[in-house]
Amino acid sequence: MKRFSSFVFDFIRAAFSGGPLFWAWLLFLSFFIAAYGYGQYVQLVNGMIVTGLNDQISWGFYLANFVFMVGVAAAAVTVVFPAYIYKHHDMHKIVVLGEMVAIAAVIMCLLFVVAHMGRPDRAWHLVPGIGILNWPNSMLAWDVIVLNGYLLLNILGGFYFLYKKYTGEPINKWFYLPIVYIAIVWAVSIHTVTAVLINTMPARPMWFHSIMPIKFIITAFAAGPSLIIIVFLLVRRFTPFKIADNAIHLLSQIVTWCLGIALFFMLSEVVTELYPSTEHAGGLKYLMFGHHGLNALVPFYWTSLGLMVGAFILLLIPRVRKNLKILPFLCIAVFLGIWIEKGMGLMLPGVIPTPVGEYAEYTPSNIEYMIVAGIWAFGFFALTILIKGATGIMLEKVKYQETTEQPSTSKHPGTAATA
Amino acid sequence: MEKNSRENNTADIASRRDFLRKAGTYTAASLTGTAMLLSPKPSKATANVSWAEHFQKHYRLMTEEEKAEAIERLEKRYSEEFGKKVSVDGSTAIDGVLFGYALNIQKCIGCRRCVKACVAENNQSRGKEQEIEWIRVLRLEKGNFSEEDRDKGGYPDDYGIQVGGNAYKPAGVVLEGQHYYEPDKVPEKDAFYLPMQCMQCEKPPCVKVCPVRTTYRDPDGIVVIDYNWCIGCRMCIGACPYWARRFNWGEPDLPKEDMNPVTHYLGNRPRMKGVVEKCTFCIQRTRKGRWTACVEVCPVGARKMGNLLDPDSDVRKVLATKKVFRLRADLNTYPKFFYFMD
Amino acid sequence: MTSNKWCGNLIGLCFLAAVLPSTTYGEATPAGKQCFESRKDMSQVQQKAIHPGEPNVKCSPTTGAVLWWGDPFDGTIPMGDMPVEADYSHEEAVVRPREPQIDRNKLLTICSMACHNGQYVPYPKDKLPRPLRMHNDIVPDAMKLKHGKGAIWCLDCHHAAERTKLIDHFGNPISFNEPQKLCGKCHGQVYRRWREGIHGKRIGMWKVGAKKRWWVCTECHNPHDVEHGEQQSGFAQLDPEPAPMLPKGMKNADHERLHEHTHYSGH
Repeated sequence: MKRFSSFVFDFIRAAFSGGPLFWAWLLFLSFFIAAYGYGQYVQLVNGMIVTGLNDQISWGFYLANFVFMVGVAAAAVTVVFPAYIYKHHDMHKIVVLGEMVAIAAVIMCLLFVVAHMGRPDRAWHLVPGIGILNWPNSMLAWDVIVLNGYLLLNILGGFYFLYKKYTGEPINKWFYLPIVYIAIVWAVSIHTVTAVLINTMPARPMWFHSIMPIKFIITAFAAGPSLIIIVFLLVRRFTPFKIADNAIHLLSQIVTWCLGIALFFMLSEVVTELYPSTEHAGGLKYLMFGHHGLNALVPFYWTSLGLMVGAFILLLIPRVRKNLKILPFLCIAVFLGIWIEKGMGLMLPGVIPTPVGEYAEYTPSNIEYMIVAGIWAFGFFALTILIKGATGIMLEKVKYQETTEQPSTSKHPGTAATA
Repeated sequence: MEKNSRENNTADIASRRDFLRKAGTYTAASLTGTAMLLSPKPSKATANVSWAEHFQKHYRLMTEEEKAEAIERLEKRYSEEFGKKVSVDGSTAIDGVLFGYALNIQKCIGCRRCVKACVAENNQSRGKEQEIEWIRVLRLEKGNFSEEDRDKGGYPDDYGIQVGGNAYKPAGVVLEGQHYYEPDKVPEKDAFYLPMQCMQCEKPPCVKVCPVRTTYRDPDGIVVIDYNWCIGCRMCIGACPYWARRFNWGEPDLPKEDMNPVTHYLGNRPRMKGVVEKCTFCIQRTRKGRWTACVEVCPVGARKMGNLLDPDSDVRKVLATKKVFRLRADLNTYPKFFYFMD
Repeated sequence: MTSNKWCGNLIGLCFLAAVLPSTTYGEATPAGKQCFESRKDMSQVQQKAIHPGEPNVKCSPTTGAVLWWGDPFDGTIPMGDMPVEADYSHEEAVVRPREPQIDRNKLLTICSMACHNGQYVPYPKDKLPRPLRMHNDIVPDAMKLKHGKGAIWCLDCHHAAERTKLIDHFGNPISFNEPQKLCGKCHGQVYRRWREGIHGKRIGMWKVGAKKRWWVCTECHNPHDVEHGEQQSGFAQLDPEPAPMLPKGMKNADHERLHEHTHYSGH
């Protein structure tokens, strides 16, 4: 117990130790988090009428970000997967960073869902026992299970590894490896379930495609590693933590191929919809070309497509892909492109036009911008301190024997725990 | 006479309301004071909610005593809030009854009285901030009769051969329905109308996707919502192919004097912000034997409703003698809302 | 005897002269809020309270149409016998009497008493059409009857001797309250559907066997103009209720009025 509490204490200490730049960054994020708190308060008091949502467009900015973040969370597997299946040596050490990304991303997902809910005060209705979880009927029930399960698995796997590293004890493979393998499958499941959540509604023809789950996963495997590459490059720059170029090259290859396949899927969808151009193509046509003067999404679609196609072409060139000065910009382009394509570009044309053919335009309200920006800030805040703490332990800056004030008790942790 | 005094009373109320309305238009000086009187504040339905209401169970899982308690709680709160005796009914489905509906699309003149009657009956939110209507009438226009489209109008004519695959104009009818039509008079010469509301599907997609089973199908075929159990996730709104469900984005604005005090727990009782609502075939009426407000108001008698299990009911007679169709039959939702023609 | 009748006629005429300039056929004296049920001006209802705070009807503030009935049977009378094979013995059918609507100012009563009593103005000898010399103002649609395409005329429906009655095939009078007995003479198919409850409007209890208020033919249709111009719907055009609120953020609904099915490449 003593060891555990000192682990927690030291993790927090490592997480919150840094130079002025680090504190400035946290302060900067805190500003947005405070705005998020205010926005969420206003929304709770007045209801969702403070958003730009309405009966025509009842799913918007929050869920768009939710869907995207589920992808980022799932992408942690792209780090874990090669490390364990192919025993990729460089990846092995940094798996835990991917898990930290996943934890931060899932927390963001849950916050986006809370923001989307009309009655977050009744969230307990979802808890089996005191409430009713409509499982296995409701896809949302599945999503609740897989997301929370994924969060637990990553916390368990990531912090077990760190804890053992911290105490210097060997890892119990019979405990740790199953968690990792389950987490790999589970990562695919969270995004599959999220895709299935929206593609099982024939009322929304834009989503009603069997390509959706695989497209979700493939875009996640493009956007997620893009973010992870940026995180790794930042970690390399600002901490002494070593991440080999090899690991980054592997990730950028994953980004390239997944992005290529994602573009192919997009093309398949466009051809399938626009060639016959039935009424069901209304959403996609609205997204790509607008509808009788309602053109809000058109620039976003083409920007996103431009970013993705441009980044893909450049990533195909090995010299460019391996240039770590250019790569972050390409990663940002991929991340942004997919964020638009899979966020608002997926959510809005799914609900516009309505199932009875009504077109309306949607602009998020200031409160929505505040809440979304705040949740992103919260996610980055969490990610920063999680990675800071994790690298602190991985670099053995903090270690159990060295940091305990009474080294003698560390030899007999059992007796210390009772004290 | 008592009857007379009642009449005077309503007349008084009416004239007072008129006066206030005028005062509001013409007086700027007492703006704040008038405004308070003028806009009967949205009853803060959640203002006095007791802890017990907050933590009550799903309606279907309550015992009879718990149901009675919940209903009594609501009646007390509503009566205080709306300044009149409000009843909340908890009637269950009538044995041997499965409700069905038939709408004569040929008769409908698009006057939207059903829409407004529904609002008068079912205590929806109204006003500028959020106006909730459970029925939507679509105007479908006949048109696109153009001589020149025969040969031009988008037909690629390379080699003088019309390919046709990209014919851009739906000849004879305008495909897109209009929701916000406002002609001086209805029916119009070149249009017909299609009212839509909850179809009370036998296989309702909205019920399937609800993560907390707050919306469910009752044995008489009505799909209901326990407003106190809804978490406001709006999955059902996404899943409904008929766009029948509405959400209380803010606190509903229900003026005291317009509030219909005869309510049902699963029907037209005042809702709170953050929950979904929809047509319940006027469950507070139909379970007491009375026709729905939309059936009653239709000035052309286009709306028929009754017991699908009774061969002599209006709806069964329609099914027996008319050609009927259902919307989006391809989705296998099995609506109990039929459209027919003479 | 004769002089007495003349005297009566004179009194009636004076009364008529007093009433005519101020009222036209079918208009009611305004007293409180008037709404109409199906046909404007021909199915008026006076708003009142049936219980404290509960009105008998709720009316549309924009069109004046009745939207909601507090008591569906308020002001009704039993429908009476149905002449043909219908089986109504098992359920209570009521109607709102048409006579007070049609003869709101008791004009028809006065007419038949004062003039059309067979003496002052003799009863017509046959049903043949003839130009009306009078009354184009009080029966505005009489001269341009849009019913039957010229094959029928006033006395095919109206009783020649009793101005407050309609007429059946045998020459017997039919009350204005029971126009279905008249209309069913020709429109047998519709009449049958109406009796079955599929055609026309009923309010009250949905259950077979429970009490219903039936709408009779002339509550919805204008028998003097069943064509209603080009739309041929059988109904007079009405003022529609206002359109729903536009979705948040939308200034207008112009986009749905654009019909060009423009292809995307056309932009």
